[in-house]
Amino acid sequence: MTKEVIVKRNKYGIKLILDNHIPFPELLQLISDKFQETGNFFKDAQMALSFEGRTLTPEEQLQVINTITDNSSIRIACIVDDDSALEERMKTRLEAAGNAGMPQAVPAQDTSTDFYKGNLRSGQILESYSNITLIGDVNPGAKIISYGSIVILGSLKGNACAGAAGADSCFIFALEMKPIQLQIGDLIAKSPDRQKPSRSLRKKENAAGSYSPQIATARDGNICVEPVTKGCFNNL
Amino acid sequence: MSEVIVITSGKGGVGKTTTTANVGTGLAMLNKKVVMIDTDIGLRNLDVVMGLENRIVYNLVDVVEGNCRLNQALIKHKKYSNLCLLPSAQTRDKDSVSPDQMKALIEEMRENFDYILLDCPAGIEQGFKNAIAGADRAFVVTTPEVSAIRDADRIVGLLEANEMQRIDLIINRIRMDMVKRGDMLKVEDVNEILSLPLIGVIPDDEQIVVSTNQGEPLVGSNSMAGQAYMNVCKRILGEEVPFLNLDAKRGVMSKLMDMFKK
Repeated sequence: MTKEVIVKRNKYGIKLILDNHIPFPELLQLISDKFQETGNFFKDAQMALSFEGRTLTPEEQLQVINTITDNSSIRIACIVDDDSALEERMKTRLEAAGNAGMPQAVPAQDTSTDFYKGNLRSGQILESYSNITLIGDVNPGAKIISYGSIVILGSLKGNACAGAAGADSCFIFALEMKPIQLQIGDLIAKSPDRQKPSRSLRKKENAAGSYSPQIATARDGNICVEPVTKGCFNNL
Repeated sequence: MSEVIVITSGKGGVGKTTTTANVGTGLAMLNKKVVMIDTDIGLRNLDVVMGLENRIVYNLVDVVEGNCRLNQALIKHKKYSNLCLLPSAQTRDKDSVSPDQMKALIEEMRENFDYILLDCPAGIEQGFKNAIAGADRAFVVTTPEVSAIRDADRIVGLLEANEMQRIDLIINRIRMDMVKRGDMLKVEDVNEILSLPLIGVIPDDEQIVVSTNQGEPLVGSNSMAGQAYMNVCKRILGEEVPFLNLDAKRGVMSKLMDMFKK
Protein backbone atom coordinates (compact mmCIF):
# COMPACT_ATOMS: atom_id res chain seq x y z
CA MET A 1 0.00 0.00 0.00
CA THR A 2 1.16 3.48 -0.77
CA LYS A 3 2.00 5.67 2.14
CA GLU A 4 1.57 8.86 0.12
CA VAL A 5 -2.19 8.75 0.32
CA ILE A 6 -3.93 7.45 3.41
CA VAL A 7 -7.69 7.43 3.75
CA LYS A 8 -9.09 7.60 7.24
CA ARG A 9 -12.67 7.65 8.25
CA ASN A 10 -14.20 9.59 11.03
CA LYS A 11 -17.76 9.95 12.16
CA TYR A 12 -19.04 12.15 9.40
CA GLY A 13 -16.70 11.65 6.55
CA ILE A 14 -13.24 10.83 5.39
CA LYS A 15 -9.87 12.38 5.95
CA LEU A 16 -7.11 12.20 3.37
CA ILE A 17 -3.62 12.24 4.77
CA LEU A 18 -1.46 13.38 1.88
CA ASP A 19 2.25 13.34 1.31
CA ASN A 20 3.76 16.81 1.17
CA HIS A 21 6.69 16.00 -1.10
CA ILE A 22 5.55 14.29 -4.24
CA PRO A 23 4.32 16.40 -7.17
CA PHE A 24 0.60 17.12 -7.32
CA PRO A 25 -0.27 15.22 -10.55
CA GLU A 26 1.37 12.12 -9.11
CA LEU A 27 -0.59 12.56 -5.93
CA LEU A 28 -3.79 12.87 -7.93
CA GLN A 29 -3.03 9.60 -9.69
CA LEU A 30 -2.48 7.85 -6.35
CA ILE A 31 -5.77 9.20 -5.03
CA SER A 32 -7.48 7.94 -8.15
CA ASP A 33 -5.97 4.46 -7.70
CA LYS A 34 -6.86 4.42 -4.05
CA PHE A 35 -10.50 5.21 -4.61
CA GLN A 36 -10.85 2.84 -7.52
CA GLU A 37 -9.69 0.17 -5.16
CA THR A 38 -11.81 1.06 -2.18
CA GLY A 39 -14.43 3.36 -3.61
CA ASN A 40 -17.22 0.87 -3.74
CA PHE A 41 -16.89 0.13 -0.08
CA PHE A 42 -18.40 3.48 0.70
CA LYS A 43 -21.24 2.97 -1.77
CA ASP A 44 -23.30 6.10 -2.22
CA ALA A 45 -22.31 7.60 1.06
CA GLN A 46 -22.42 11.34 1.44
CA MET A 47 -19.39 12.55 3.24
CA ALA A 48 -17.45 15.48 4.48
CA LEU A 49 -13.86 15.61 3.33
CA SER A 50 -10.86 16.94 5.15
CA PHE A 51 -7.17 17.06 4.36
CA GLU A 52 -4.13 16.62 6.45
CA GLY A 53 -0.39 16.74 5.86
CA ARG A 54 -0.50 19.00 2.84
CA THR A 55 -1.99 22.38 2.15
CA LEU A 56 -3.99 22.45 -1.04
CA THR A 57 -5.09 25.44 -3.05
CA PRO A 58 -8.84 25.66 -3.79
CA GLU A 59 -7.98 24.70 -7.35
CA GLU A 60 -6.20 21.56 -6.18
CA GLN A 61 -8.96 20.72 -3.74
CA LEU A 62 -11.46 20.81 -6.57
CA GLN A 63 -9.30 18.47 -8.61
CA VAL A 64 -9.06 16.04 -5.71
CA ILE A 65 -12.83 16.05 -5.28
CA ASN A 66 -13.34 15.43 -8.96
CA THR A 67 -10.90 12.55 -8.82
CA ILE A 68 -12.76 11.00 -5.92
CA THR A 69 -16.21 11.36 -7.42
CA ASP A 70 -14.98 10.11 -10.80
CA ASN A 71 -13.51 6.98 -9.31
CA SER A 72 -16.12 6.06 -6.75
CA SER A 73 -19.73 6.62 -5.89
CA ILE A 74 -18.93 8.75 -2.87
CA ARG A 75 -20.59 12.12 -2.79
CA ILE A 76 -18.64 14.85 -1.13
CA ALA A 77 -20.97 17.10 0.82
CA CYS A 78 -18.39 19.63 1.88
CA ILE A 79 -14.75 20.21 2.59
CA VAL A 80 -13.48 20.90 6.04
CA ASP A 81 -10.28 22.65 5.26
CA ASP A 82 -8.68 22.72 8.65
CA ASP A 83 -7.22 19.40 9.58
CA SER A 84 -8.02 20.00 13.22
CA ALA A 85 -11.63 20.54 12.21
CA LEU A 86 -14.00 19.40 14.83
CA GLU A 87 -16.39 16.66 14.06
CA GLU A 88 -19.07 18.96 15.37
CA ARG A 89 -18.50 21.30 12.49
CA MET A 90 -18.59 18.51 9.98
CA LYS A 91 -21.75 17.26 11.54
CA THR A 92 -23.57 20.53 11.27
CA ARG A 93 -22.44 21.01 7.71
CA LEU A 94 -23.40 17.56 6.65
CA GLU A 95 -26.77 17.84 8.28
CA ALA A 96 -27.19 21.25 6.73
CA ALA A 97 -26.64 19.60 3.38
CA GLY A 98 -30.24 18.53 3.82
CA ASN A 99 -29.97 14.89 3.21
CA ALA A 100 -32.65 13.40 5.34
CA GLY A 101 -33.00 10.13 3.48
CA MET A 102 -29.33 9.30 3.43
CA PRO A 103 -28.28 7.25 6.40
CA GLN A 104 -25.02 8.17 8.00
CA ALA A 105 -22.36 6.22 9.73
CA VAL A 106 -23.15 6.00 13.38
CA PRO A 107 -20.62 5.82 16.14
CA ALA A 108 -20.49 2.62 18.09
CA GLN A 109 -21.97 4.30 21.11
CA ASP A 110 -25.17 5.01 19.24
CA THR A 111 -27.92 3.62 21.37
CA SER A 112 -30.43 2.94 18.62
CA THR A 113 -30.87 -0.71 17.82
CA ASP A 114 -32.81 -2.46 15.13
CA PHE A 115 -34.61 -5.64 16.04
CA TYR A 116 -35.18 -8.39 13.55
CA LYS A 117 -36.86 -11.70 14.02
CA GLY A 118 -36.36 -14.59 11.67
CA ASN A 119 -33.57 -16.53 10.04
CA LEU A 120 -31.25 -15.08 7.43
CA ARG A 121 -30.85 -17.59 4.67
CA SER A 122 -28.12 -18.01 2.10
CA GLY A 123 -27.88 -14.99 -0.17
CA GLN A 124 -29.77 -12.68 2.16
CA ILE A 125 -28.12 -9.58 3.56
CA LEU A 126 -29.30 -7.67 6.60
CA GLU A 127 -27.72 -4.24 6.68
CA SER A 128 -28.35 -1.51 9.20
CA TYR A 129 -26.79 1.78 10.16
CA SER A 130 -27.55 1.20 13.81
CA ASN A 131 -26.87 -1.73 16.08
CA ILE A 132 -28.64 -4.96 15.18
CA THR A 133 -30.29 -7.53 17.36
CA LEU A 134 -31.30 -10.57 15.38
CA ILE A 135 -33.55 -13.15 16.93
CA GLY A 136 -32.83 -16.11 14.70
CA ASP A 137 -29.95 -17.68 12.84
CA VAL A 138 -27.56 -16.42 10.19
CA ASN A 139 -27.11 -19.33 7.83
CA PRO A 140 -24.00 -19.98 5.72
CA GLY A 141 -23.97 -17.66 2.72
CA ALA A 142 -26.00 -14.98 4.50
CA LYS A 143 -24.48 -11.76 5.76
CA ILE A 144 -25.31 -9.35 8.53
CA ILE A 145 -23.80 -5.88 8.33
CA SER A 146 -24.06 -3.20 10.98
CA TYR A 147 -22.40 0.13 11.48
CA GLY A 148 -22.60 -0.60 15.17
CA SER A 149 -22.57 -3.85 17.09
CA ILE A 150 -24.40 -7.08 16.41
CA VAL A 151 -26.21 -9.34 18.83
CA ILE A 152 -27.47 -12.60 17.43
CA LEU A 153 -29.84 -14.60 19.57
CA GLY A 154 -29.30 -17.73 17.57
CA SER A 155 -26.50 -19.29 15.57
CA LEU A 156 -24.06 -17.30 13.50
CA LYS A 157 -23.06 -19.63 10.69
CA GLY A 158 -22.60 -17.05 7.93
CA ASN A 159 -20.72 -13.77 7.68
CA ALA A 160 -21.00 -10.89 10.11
CA CYS A 161 -19.59 -7.40 9.81
CA ALA A 162 -19.78 -5.00 12.75
CA GLY A 163 -18.58 -1.41 12.78
CA ALA A 164 -18.82 -1.31 9.00
CA ALA A 165 -17.72 2.32 8.90
CA GLY A 166 -14.44 1.42 10.50
CA ALA A 167 -15.33 1.48 14.18
CA ASP A 168 -13.38 -1.29 15.85
CA SER A 169 -14.97 -0.74 19.24
CA CYS A 170 -17.96 -2.75 18.08
CA PHE A 171 -18.60 -6.34 19.01
CA ILE A 172 -20.43 -9.36 17.67
CA PHE A 173 -22.31 -11.57 20.07
CA ALA A 174 -23.91 -14.88 19.18
CA LEU A 175 -25.43 -17.70 21.13
CA GLU A 176 -23.62 -20.05 18.82
CA MET A 177 -20.52 -18.73 17.09
CA LYS A 178 -19.71 -20.70 13.95
CA PRO A 179 -19.10 -17.94 11.42
CA ILE A 180 -17.51 -18.28 8.02
CA GLN A 181 -16.02 -14.81 8.32
CA LEU A 182 -16.10 -12.08 10.92
CA GLN A 183 -15.37 -8.43 10.30
CA ILE A 184 -15.02 -5.76 12.93
CA GLY A 185 -14.08 -2.33 11.64
CA ASP A 186 -11.20 -2.87 9.24
CA LEU A 187 -10.29 -6.27 10.62
CA ILE A 188 -11.34 -9.50 9.00
CA ALA A 189 -11.02 -13.07 10.22
CA LYS A 190 -11.96 -16.34 8.63
CA SER A 191 -12.98 -19.50 10.38
CA PRO A 192 -10.21 -22.03 10.88
CA ASP A 193 -9.96 -24.76 8.27
CA ARG A 194 -11.20 -28.02 9.59
CA GLN A 195 -8.35 -30.32 10.42
CA LYS A 196 -10.24 -33.56 10.68
CA PRO A 197 -13.47 -32.92 8.92
CA SER A 198 -14.74 -36.44 9.06
CA ARG A 199 -14.69 -36.41 12.83
CA SER A 200 -16.17 -33.01 13.33
CA LEU A 201 -18.84 -33.78 10.80
CA ARG A 202 -19.96 -36.80 12.64
CA LYS A 203 -19.55 -35.30 16.05
CA LYS A 204 -22.85 -34.48 17.59
CA GLU A 205 -23.58 -30.81 17.57
CA ASN A 206 -24.28 -29.26 20.91
CA ALA A 207 -26.92 -31.16 22.74
CA ALA A 208 -30.24 -29.77 21.61
CA GLY A 209 -31.10 -26.48 23.22
CA SER A 210 -27.83 -25.78 24.96
CA TYR A 211 -25.88 -22.91 23.46
CA SER A 212 -22.44 -21.75 24.41
CA PRO A 213 -22.57 -18.01 23.76
CA GLN A 214 -19.48 -16.30 22.49
CA ILE A 215 -18.48 -12.75 21.82
CA ALA A 216 -16.09 -11.38 19.21
CA THR A 217 -14.21 -8.14 19.84
CA ALA A 218 -11.30 -6.37 18.20
CA ARG A 219 -8.18 -6.33 20.30
CA ASP A 220 -4.64 -5.31 19.30
CA GLY A 221 -5.37 -5.62 15.61
CA ASN A 222 -6.92 -9.06 15.94
CA ILE A 223 -10.43 -10.36 16.29
CA CYS A 224 -10.81 -12.31 19.53
CA VAL A 225 -13.65 -14.74 20.01
CA GLU A 226 -14.19 -15.87 23.56
CA PRO A 227 -16.87 -17.47 25.65
CA VAL A 228 -19.19 -15.14 27.45
CA THR A 229 -18.40 -15.06 31.12
CA LYS A 230 -19.57 -12.93 33.99
CA GLY A 231 -18.01 -9.52 33.76
CA CYS A 232 -16.77 -9.86 30.22
CA PHE A 233 -19.11 -7.06 29.15
CA ASN A 234 -17.44 -4.62 31.52
CA ASN A 235 -14.65 -3.72 29.15
CA LEU A 236 -16.80 -3.28 26.06
CA MET B 1 -1.61 -22.47 -24.72
CA SER B 2 -4.39 -22.59 -22.24
CA GLU B 3 -7.58 -24.53 -22.68
CA VAL B 4 -10.97 -23.35 -21.46
CA ILE B 5 -13.37 -26.14 -20.56
CA VAL B 6 -16.99 -25.66 -19.56
CA ILE B 7 -18.62 -28.41 -17.51
CA THR B 8 -22.33 -28.49 -18.18
CA SER B 9 -25.30 -30.82 -18.13
CA GLY B 10 -28.64 -29.12 -18.48
CA LYS B 11 -30.17 -31.09 -15.67
CA GLY B 12 -29.31 -30.27 -12.09
CA GLY B 13 -27.81 -32.63 -9.58
CA VAL B 14 -25.92 -34.86 -11.98
CA GLY B 15 -22.49 -33.84 -10.70
CA LYS B 16 -21.23 -30.78 -12.58
CA THR B 17 -19.76 -29.14 -9.52
CA THR B 18 -18.29 -32.37 -8.18
CA THR B 19 -16.76 -33.06 -11.57
CA THR B 20 -15.34 -29.54 -11.80
CA ALA B 21 -13.82 -29.82 -8.34
CA ASN B 22 -12.28 -33.22 -8.99
CA VAL B 23 -11.02 -32.53 -12.49
CA GLY B 24 -9.59 -29.18 -11.38
CA THR B 25 -7.83 -30.71 -8.40
CA GLY B 26 -6.64 -33.65 -10.49
CA LEU B 27 -5.09 -31.40 -13.13
CA ALA B 28 -3.40 -29.42 -10.37
CA MET B 29 -1.99 -32.68 -8.98
CA LEU B 30 -0.55 -33.30 -12.43
CA ASN B 31 1.28 -29.97 -12.09
CA LYS B 32 -0.88 -27.87 -14.33
CA LYS B 33 -1.86 -24.33 -13.48
CA VAL B 34 -5.61 -24.46 -13.09
CA VAL B 35 -8.35 -22.00 -12.27
CA MET B 36 -11.93 -23.01 -11.59
CA ILE B 37 -14.61 -20.42 -12.15
CA ASP B 38 -18.00 -20.86 -10.50
CA THR B 39 -20.51 -19.28 -12.87
CA ASP B 40 -23.53 -20.29 -10.84
CA ILE B 41 -24.30 -16.80 -9.58
CA GLY B 42 -26.80 -16.84 -6.74
CA LEU B 43 -26.45 -20.54 -5.99
CA ARG B 44 -22.77 -21.02 -5.56
CA ASN B 45 -21.48 -24.40 -4.46
CA LEU B 46 -18.02 -24.95 -5.82
CA ASP B 47 -16.38 -23.10 -2.95
CA VAL B 48 -18.14 -25.36 -0.44
CA VAL B 49 -17.17 -28.52 -2.30
CA MET B 50 -13.57 -27.28 -2.43
CA GLY B 51 -13.61 -26.35 1.27
CA LEU B 52 -12.67 -22.74 0.51
CA GLU B 53 -15.89 -21.03 1.54
CA ASN B 54 -14.36 -19.20 4.48
CA ARG B 55 -11.79 -17.44 2.29
CA ILE B 56 -14.19 -15.63 0.00
CA VAL B 57 -13.90 -11.87 0.16
CA TYR B 58 -14.48 -10.85 -3.45
CA ASN B 59 -16.23 -12.77 -6.20
CA LEU B 60 -16.82 -13.04 -9.92
CA VAL B 61 -19.33 -10.18 -10.00
CA ASP B 62 -16.93 -7.91 -8.09
CA VAL B 63 -14.25 -8.60 -10.69
CA VAL B 64 -16.59 -7.99 -13.61
CA GLU B 65 -17.94 -4.80 -12.08
CA GLY B 66 -14.45 -3.59 -11.28
CA ASN B 67 -14.87 -3.51 -7.52
CA CYS B 68 -11.63 -5.38 -7.13
CA ARG B 69 -8.71 -6.67 -9.14
CA LEU B 70 -8.80 -10.21 -10.48
CA ASN B 71 -5.96 -11.30 -8.22
CA GLN B 72 -7.83 -10.14 -5.15
CA ALA B 73 -10.75 -12.41 -5.94
CA LEU B 74 -8.77 -15.54 -6.83
CA ILE B 75 -8.54 -17.98 -3.94
CA LYS B 76 -5.52 -20.24 -3.79
CA HIS B 77 -6.15 -23.80 -2.76
CA LYS B 78 -4.90 -24.87 0.66
CA LYS B 79 -2.72 -27.68 -0.64
CA TYR B 80 -2.03 -26.90 -4.28
CA SER B 81 -0.66 -23.45 -4.93
CA ASN B 82 -1.19 -23.94 -8.67
CA LEU B 83 -4.94 -24.32 -8.19
CA CYS B 84 -7.19 -21.27 -7.90
CA LEU B 85 -10.90 -20.68 -7.48
CA LEU B 86 -12.87 -17.69 -8.63
CA PRO B 87 -16.06 -17.93 -6.57
CA SER B 88 -19.40 -16.63 -7.70
CA ALA B 89 -21.60 -14.15 -5.88
CA GLN B 90 -24.33 -15.46 -3.65
CA THR B 91 -26.38 -12.30 -3.33
CA ARG B 92 -26.77 -11.48 -7.01
CA ASP B 93 -28.37 -13.14 -9.98
CA LYS B 94 -27.30 -14.44 -13.35
CA ASP B 95 -28.03 -11.16 -15.11
CA SER B 96 -25.20 -9.46 -13.19
CA VAL B 97 -22.78 -10.74 -15.82
CA SER B 98 -22.97 -10.82 -19.60
CA PRO B 99 -21.40 -13.32 -22.01
CA ASP B 100 -19.13 -10.59 -23.38
CA GLN B 101 -17.85 -9.79 -19.91
CA MET B 102 -17.15 -13.47 -19.30
CA LYS B 103 -15.25 -13.68 -22.57
CA ALA B 104 -13.12 -10.68 -21.66
CA LEU B 105 -12.44 -12.10 -18.20
CA ILE B 106 -11.38 -15.46 -19.59
CA GLU B 107 -9.11 -13.83 -22.18
CA GLU B 108 -7.46 -11.97 -19.32
CA MET B 109 -6.83 -15.22 -17.45
CA ARG B 110 -5.59 -17.25 -20.37
CA GLU B 111 -1.98 -16.13 -20.03
CA ASN B 112 -1.69 -17.21 -16.44
CA PHE B 113 -3.27 -20.64 -16.47
CA ASP B 114 -2.99 -23.91 -18.39
CA TYR B 115 -6.59 -24.87 -17.78
CA ILE B 116 -9.63 -22.78 -17.05
CA LEU B 117 -12.61 -24.81 -15.86
CA LEU B 118 -16.05 -23.25 -15.86
CA ASP B 119 -18.67 -24.75 -13.58
CA CYS B 120 -21.94 -24.13 -15.41
CA PRO B 121 -25.29 -23.72 -13.64
CA ALA B 122 -28.18 -26.03 -14.43
CA GLY B 123 -30.60 -24.79 -17.07
CA ILE B 124 -30.22 -23.21 -20.47
CA GLU B 125 -30.78 -19.57 -19.57
CA GLN B 126 -28.49 -16.63 -18.93
CA GLY B 127 -26.15 -18.55 -16.63
CA PHE B 128 -25.56 -21.21 -19.26
CA LYS B 129 -24.95 -18.60 -21.93
CA ASN B 130 -22.42 -16.84 -19.70
CA ALA B 131 -20.62 -20.07 -18.92
CA ILE B 132 -20.20 -21.28 -22.48
CA ALA B 133 -19.32 -17.88 -23.95
CA GLY B 134 -15.57 -18.10 -23.56
CA ALA B 135 -15.09 -21.87 -23.65
CA ASP B 136 -13.01 -23.81 -26.18
CA ARG B 137 -14.41 -27.16 -25.26
CA ALA B 138 -17.23 -28.65 -23.24
CA PHE B 139 -17.74 -31.64 -20.99
CA VAL B 140 -21.33 -32.75 -20.87
CA VAL B 141 -22.05 -34.59 -17.64
CA THR B 142 -24.97 -36.96 -17.50
CA THR B 143 -26.20 -39.80 -15.36
CA PRO B 144 -27.55 -42.95 -16.96
CA GLU B 145 -31.12 -41.76 -16.55
CA VAL B 146 -33.49 -40.97 -19.35
CA SER B 147 -34.32 -37.51 -18.01
CA ALA B 148 -30.67 -36.51 -17.63
CA ILE B 149 -29.85 -37.83 -21.07
CA ARG B 150 -32.75 -35.94 -22.60
CA ASP B 151 -31.43 -32.70 -21.09
CA ALA B 152 -27.87 -33.52 -22.08
CA ASP B 153 -29.00 -33.99 -25.66
CA ARG B 154 -30.65 -30.59 -25.63
CA ILE B 155 -27.44 -29.07 -24.24
CA VAL B 156 -25.34 -30.72 -26.93
CA GLY B 157 -27.62 -29.20 -29.54
CA LEU B 158 -27.21 -25.76 -28.00
CA LEU B 159 -23.44 -26.17 -27.73
CA GLU B 160 -23.23 -27.16 -31.39
CA ALA B 161 -25.37 -24.19 -32.34
CA ASN B 162 -22.89 -22.01 -30.47
CA GLU B 163 -20.05 -23.58 -32.43
CA MET B 164 -18.35 -25.32 -29.55
CA GLN B 165 -15.24 -26.84 -31.03
CA ARG B 166 -15.11 -29.98 -29.00
CA ILE B 167 -17.69 -31.75 -26.84
CA ASP B 168 -16.92 -34.75 -24.66
CA LEU B 169 -19.18 -36.87 -22.51
CA ILE B 170 -18.82 -37.85 -18.87
CA ILE B 171 -21.20 -40.48 -17.58
CA ASN B 172 -21.56 -40.09 -13.85
CA ARG B 173 -22.97 -42.24 -11.06
CA ILE B 174 -23.19 -45.46 -12.96
CA ARG B 175 -23.96 -48.58 -10.92
CA MET B 176 -22.67 -51.76 -12.43
CA ASP B 177 -24.84 -54.00 -10.31
CA MET B 178 -27.95 -52.25 -11.62
CA VAL B 179 -26.66 -52.30 -15.18
CA LYS B 180 -26.17 -56.03 -14.89
CA ARG B 181 -29.67 -56.55 -13.65
CA GLY B 182 -30.87 -54.52 -16.60
CA ASP B 183 -32.27 -51.79 -14.35
CA MET B 184 -29.91 -49.10 -15.56
CA LEU B 185 -28.78 -47.92 -18.98
CA LYS B 186 -25.42 -49.21 -20.12
CA VAL B 187 -22.57 -46.91 -21.11
CA GLU B 188 -23.13 -48.07 -24.67
CA ASP B 189 -26.82 -47.19 -24.51
CA VAL B 190 -26.06 -43.66 -23.35
CA ASN B 191 -23.42 -43.28 -25.99
CA GLU B 192 -25.79 -44.46 -28.65
CA ILE B 193 -28.23 -41.68 -27.86
CA LEU B 194 -25.72 -38.89 -27.44
CA SER B 195 -22.96 -40.16 -29.76
CA LEU B 196 -20.19 -38.10 -28.26
CA PRO B 197 -16.59 -39.06 -27.56
CA LEU B 198 -16.49 -40.49 -24.05
CA ILE B 199 -13.89 -38.99 -21.73
CA GLY B 200 -14.95 -40.52 -18.44
CA VAL B 201 -17.20 -43.00 -16.71
CA ILE B 202 -17.52 -42.35 -13.01
CA PRO B 203 -19.05 -45.02 -10.80
CA ASP B 204 -21.55 -44.16 -8.10
CA ASP B 205 -19.47 -44.02 -4.94
CA GLU B 206 -20.42 -43.27 -1.35
CA GLN B 207 -17.04 -41.67 -0.89
CA ILE B 208 -18.10 -38.82 -3.19
CA VAL B 209 -20.73 -37.74 -0.69
CA VAL B 210 -18.19 -37.88 2.12
CA SER B 211 -15.59 -35.90 0.19
CA THR B 212 -18.11 -33.30 -0.93
CA ASN B 213 -19.20 -32.74 2.64
CA GLN B 214 -15.63 -32.48 3.83
CA GLY B 215 -14.62 -30.07 1.11
CA GLU B 216 -11.81 -32.25 -0.17
CA PRO B 217 -12.10 -33.69 -3.66
CA LEU B 218 -11.27 -37.40 -3.75
CA VAL B 219 -9.49 -37.41 -7.09
CA GLY B 220 -6.31 -39.45 -6.93
CA SER B 221 -7.52 -41.44 -3.94
CA ASN B 222 -7.89 -45.16 -3.95
CA SER B 223 -11.64 -45.14 -4.37
CA MET B 224 -13.12 -46.11 -7.71
CA ALA B 225 -14.51 -42.62 -8.32
CA GLY B 226 -11.16 -41.08 -7.38
CA GLN B 227 -9.36 -43.24 -9.91
CA ALA B 228 -11.96 -42.57 -12.57
CA TYR B 229 -11.59 -38.81 -12.13
CA MET B 230 -7.81 -39.05 -12.29
CA ASN B 231 -8.16 -40.95 -15.56
CA VAL B 232 -10.33 -38.14 -16.93
CA CYS B 233 -7.54 -35.68 -16.07
CA LYS B 234 -4.94 -37.81 -17.81
CA ARG B 235 -7.14 -38.04 -20.88
CA ILE B 236 -7.43 -34.25 -20.88
CA LEU B 237 -3.63 -34.11 -21.04
CA GLY B 238 -3.79 -36.37 -24.07
CA GLU B 239 -2.76 -39.67 -22.49
CA GLU B 240 -4.42 -42.85 -23.68
CA VAL B 241 -5.91 -44.39 -20.57
CA PRO B 242 -8.11 -47.46 -20.73
CA PHE B 243 -11.47 -47.19 -18.99
CA LEU B 244 -11.63 -48.69 -15.52
CA ASN B 245 -13.13 -52.07 -15.20
CA LEU B 246 -15.94 -51.03 -12.89
CA ASP B 247 -17.20 -54.55 -12.89
CA ALA B 248 -14.31 -55.94 -10.88
CA LYS B 249 -15.73 -57.93 -8.04
CA ARG B 250 -14.20 -56.69 -4.88
CA GLY B 251 -13.46 -59.45 -2.45
CA VAL B 252 -14.08 -59.22 1.25
CA MET B 253 -10.33 -59.01 1.80
CA SER B 254 -9.78 -55.91 -0.34
CA LYS B 255 -12.71 -54.20 1.33
CA LEU B 256 -11.22 -55.01 4.70
CA MET B 257 -7.87 -53.65 3.56
CA ASP B 258 -9.54 -50.43 2.51
CA MET B 259 -11.12 -50.08 5.89
CA PHE B 260 -7.75 -50.37 7.59
CA LYS B 261 -6.18 -47.83 5.27
CA LYS B 262 -8.60 -45.14 6.45
